[in-house]
Amino acid sequence: MKTPRRLVLKTLLLLLLASWLTGAGVNALADVPAVHLGLAGEPATLDPHRYNLRVEESVLGDLFLGLTTFSAEGKIMPGAATHWDTSEDGLTWNFHLRPDGRWSDGKPVTAHDFVYAFQRLLNPKTAASLAYFMYPLKNAEAASKGETPLRDVGARAVDDLTLELTLALPYPHLPERLLYPTAFPVPRHVIDRVGDRWVKPEHWVSNGAYILRDWKPQQHIELAHNPQFTPAPATQSVFYHSLANGQNAYNRYRAGDMDAIAGFPAGELANLSTTRAAELRLSPQLSMMYLVFNTRLPPFNDVRVRKALSMVVEPSILTDKVLRSGDVAATSFVPPMVANYDHPALPQATVPLSERQVQARALLTAAGYGPDKPLNIVLRYATGTDGKKANLATAAFWQQIGVKVELHQAELKVHYGDLRQGDFMVAQAGWLGESNPEHYLGLLHGSTGDTNYGGYHNPAVDKLLNDARGQKNIVARHALLRDAEILAMQDYPVMPLFALATRRLVRPDLRGWHENPRDAHPARFLQR
Amino acid sequence: MHLIARRLVTVGLTFLVIVTLIFLLLRLTPGGPFDGERALPPEVEANLRAAYHLDKPLAEQYGLYLAKLLQGDLGPSFRQKDFTVNELVAQGLPVSLIVGASALVLALFLGMVTGTFAALHPGRFIDVALMGFINLGLAIPGIIVAPICVLVFAVLLGWLPAGGIGTPQHYVLPIIAAALPYAAAIARLWRGAVLEALKEPHVLTARAKGLPPSRLLFRHVFPVAALPLVSWLGPLAAGLLTGTVVVEQVFELPGIGRYFVQAAINRDYTLVMGVALVFAALILIFNFCVDLVYRLLDPRIPV
Repeated sequence: MKTPRRLVLKTLLLLLLASWLTGAGVNALADVPAVHLGLAGEPATLDPHRYNLRVEESVLGDLFLGLTTFSAEGKIMPGAATHWDTSEDGLTWNFHLRPDGRWSDGKPVTAHDFVYAFQRLLNPKTAASLAYFMYPLKNAEAASKGETPLRDVGARAVDDLTLELTLALPYPHLPERLLYPTAFPVPRHVIDRVGDRWVKPEHWVSNGAYILRDWKPQQHIELAHNPQFTPAPATQSVFYHSLANGQNAYNRYRAGDMDAIAGFPAGELANLSTTRAAELRLSPQLSMMYLVFNTRLPPFNDVRVRKALSMVVEPSILTDKVLRSGDVAATSFVPPMVANYDHPALPQATVPLSERQVQARALLTAAGYGPDKPLNIVLRYATGTDGKKANLATAAFWQQIGVKVELHQAELKVHYGDLRQGDFMVAQAGWLGESNPEHYLGLLHGSTGDTNYGGYHNPAVDKLLNDARGQKNIVARHALLRDAEILAMQDYPVMPLFALATRRLVRPDLRGWHENPRDAHPARFLQR
Repeated sequence: MHLIARRLVTVGLTFLVIVTLIFLLLRLTPGGPFDGERALPPEVEANLRAAYHLDKPLAEQYGLYLAKLLQGDLGPSFRQKDFTVNELVAQGLPVSLIVGASALVLALFLGMVTGTFAALHPGRFIDVALMGFINLGLAIPGIIVAPICVLVFAVLLGWLPAGGIGTPQHYVLPIIAAALPYAAAIARLWRGAVLEALKEPHVLTARAKGLPPSRLLFRHVFPVAALPLVSWLGPLAAGLLTGTVVVEQVFELPGIGRYFVQAAINRDYTLVMGVALVFAALILIFNFCVDLVYRLLDPRIPV
């Protein structure tokens, strides 16, 4: 039973569909001249004082201008401040603001804005998780705990264009610390009027090269040029797309939607090295992935066990043979890109490879482990990226000296939750940081708290770290930090593995993009 | 009407049970919304927890949530700090609905057309070919079909966008990928139902009386065959809605399906609740409508 009517209907529909599909111009990039950048995740907030994620730093750096800022090459340069000077003892810093600094609604940016900003950051009600970035300021820590009033914090407006910052201890790295969004100014006149809704596009006021035009969650954040900002940026519009999934990011890039993406599937690396060599960017980042031993409990409360396990793992094999994604093998705990620092080699570097397994076995035997009493350990790590591969290789190294290893994987939140509870034997952890050795060595200080996951405590190391904090001269400071690192690493509290490398694809016609260890690419320098 | 009032009460109670269950499940899961790589100073964490009422006893948190819910306020998102759950759902729901509803219509259309053709020529080549094709569609899961579609049509051929939204073309691949598995299932069901209906006495009588084929099909066969399909529409809609999670992930669509997974991973309690409640409401409403349609199709069915 054929029904001609239905046949006709079907054909018509098919024709309609076909004409629509072929008529569809797959317009890869919108007609508006704009730069489209892929982010490795979605920002949780655009309030600079409440920020917590690496992806937020990129967007906030375009929206706001701090006292210091990144150049196109990722170096520190003057931002809202044109120059600054320090007192003899290194405790007082005077920042001189540029007189033409303006909010996007035309109001001038003054030193009072910065004082307000620091107080807001440290106000316990703001609940800023990274408030401790500004603890170098005098009374900052006490104020953030509610112990002293906020007006006692060491930030004072000498006049409209001069900001005086007073420190508790000398801190020559202050200009670098001010690069983070925690030190950005915020528009008091808007916050006083609309409260927490000030971050919405309809109320948005900022002092950076761009303002927030729109934020469609899970899609993109649209930035538009701030007319009050000079010099005018090369690109009028910037779109930040949240592309957490590497495969999706890669698809969008290949389809022509994106100018740069922040990740792609690891399996594509070999292919891309040949087909898109000019677009591939594998640049080492200021970071350190490491294994941390829980020194509070057996078996890792015994330095011999820690030493044995540390000796037999070869980070260069992990990076060059297993991961092969541009990560840089660790030769010290403080990452190699940290400047002005003479990195001490790890103590096990002096032992030739062939000897290491022998010595390791001897150490384990001395600690009471052997074939009849094997060492059983659980290695924990967080899901995602290449954690599993690297840890399987590490486990294989340990199995060679008779250690029984069980791998335990957990989701990121649970993993770090367990670490902070001290609920682990040995675990993988990571730290993204500054070009400042203290930023990493602080993880080994006895009174650091939660992030000293392994509970390592050596009073001699603490003393050296404390002494370093009293030094205003970088050379002297770093010399003491070096001594601290040497001393600490002899206890093998952590096993440095490698520094992470970015895994990006960037269009060759995107000018103004320069690789740097902070992965900072301010949009105002980018141009297609 | 008696029926509607009774059903509304049942719907309301079901809703309440769902709210309570999800509330408890979320709170029991290890890891909290503020656990992350960078540790929070204890004072800050205390302030954060207080701001979100997480420091209060469980019963009180539950009461507070219900009170807000009755006013239509789904609360602030724990993770997307600059947005309320209402804002996030308002942005994401239209996308999910467009994809889900269109996929449903497409699946019904494709399934019913193929099923009818197969049923009208039982045992012949066209029937075997169509059914073979359909079984293939049933066997291959959507999570395989979707990325292949993207690779072929978007990346290699460049005919359609690879992801995101913005133009109608952005919806073509997602709707097709979401609809195909269900089109296959509907085709099978419909073929069987039409075959059965064709054997009904009233159909044979109508054919004997010389009724034209189109009238026969639309007036006498389809309404009978529709009953099994309609009774399956409820679970079908539920499946499509939850299936959007996969499709949205692969095609990078900003719908609420993706929030489901992401929010659970982030322990964004309010967002998970909000999305789950929206899904639950949609499914409950849809099932209710389906029951009404069922009654319309066959008045003999008791209330």
